Amino acid sequence: MRAGQIYLLVAFGLMAISYFKEKQRTRDALKATFKILYTIMPVLIFVFVLMGLIQAYVSRETIASILGQKNGALGIIYAELIGSIALFLPPAVFPFGGYLHNNGASYGSIAGFVFTAILIGVTTLPLEFKLFGKRFTIARNIFTFVLAFFIALLMEEILR
Amino acid sequence: MSKIFKNDTFWFLFLGFVITLVVYILNAEKGMIVAKTVYSTFFEVLDIIVAVSIFIGLFQVWVKPQTIVKLLGKGSGIKGFILVCTFPILMGGSLFTVFPLLKALKEKGARTGAIASFITAWGGKAPLLPLETQFLGWPFALLRLSLVVLFAFVMGILMDWVVEKPVEANVNKR
Repeated sequence: MRAGQIYLLVAFGLMAISYFKEKQRTRDALKATFKILYTIMPVLIFVFVLMGLIQAYVSRETIASILGQKNGALGIIYAELIGSIALFLPPAVFPFGGYLHNNGASYGSIAGFVFTAILIGVTTLPLEFKLFGKRFTIARNIFTFVLAFFIALLMEEILR
Repeated sequence: MSKIFKNDTFWFLFLGFVITLVVYILNAEKGMIVAKTVYSTFFEVLDIIVAVSIFIGLFQVWVKPQTIVKLLGKGSGIKGFILVCTFPILMGGSLFTVFPLLKALKEKGARTGAIASFITAWGGKAPLLPLETQFLGWPFALLRLSLVVLFAFVMGILMDWVVEKPVEANVNKR
């Protein structure tokens, strides 16, 4: 049995428990689920197309030379830069990260990419700026970049 | 039909399709590589994505934003700080959905560091664990998830120090 099928079973189980406890809430949950699927599926497929493009046009050697272990700390910084500007929804981050890893990117680079892709977003900057101010936004994004770098280095040390 | 075109996410699908088609016309072999990658990855994630979406949907209706704000309070004190560095790991959504919630926390008087810790901990993304382990393995996912707590902790301290302090200094001067 695939891991995904087990998750699906658990999800249906929880859904059943929820329905048993409160029908209306469960209907709302189902609506939310469909909305999430509707929002992320097309974006995911677009990211899969990007992965296909890399598969077709970029060699494993190229990815490994930029994001691989040999490039060390510099590879992590490149990965973080990609993550910072990438317009990825969080669910797309992991398939793409796993794909890069299979093609020679180091665990450290992937960690840097994952953190910045989720926590730094060019698209969310204006909102963050508006809600929390200039000082907060600049400081948070810089600290995220720097701290993610050290955590990625640590993960690389432990996992390689 | 026009409603579909108004949807941003639809354009991603459309663009993806056009790119694949163009690549196929330029070079059939490379076009097939793209199509095969999309096909195999899609079916690799389908059941996981559906399961994850159900988890997040259920979480959203059973744990209301108001409950979270109440639970975390100002995020002050050791207990509040620990909560703010761990609890958001369980939440789904994108930055667009957490920022408004944090606005409410801030209005309740949460410290700058608590807000920053919350955002960082939210980056742990436990609801996406099924996806993360599928593509990057359990050691990577669990290590990342535990380090995110440390990440959030340091983040909160740094942000309080850099962003909050000058304001306090000004107040003291007056």
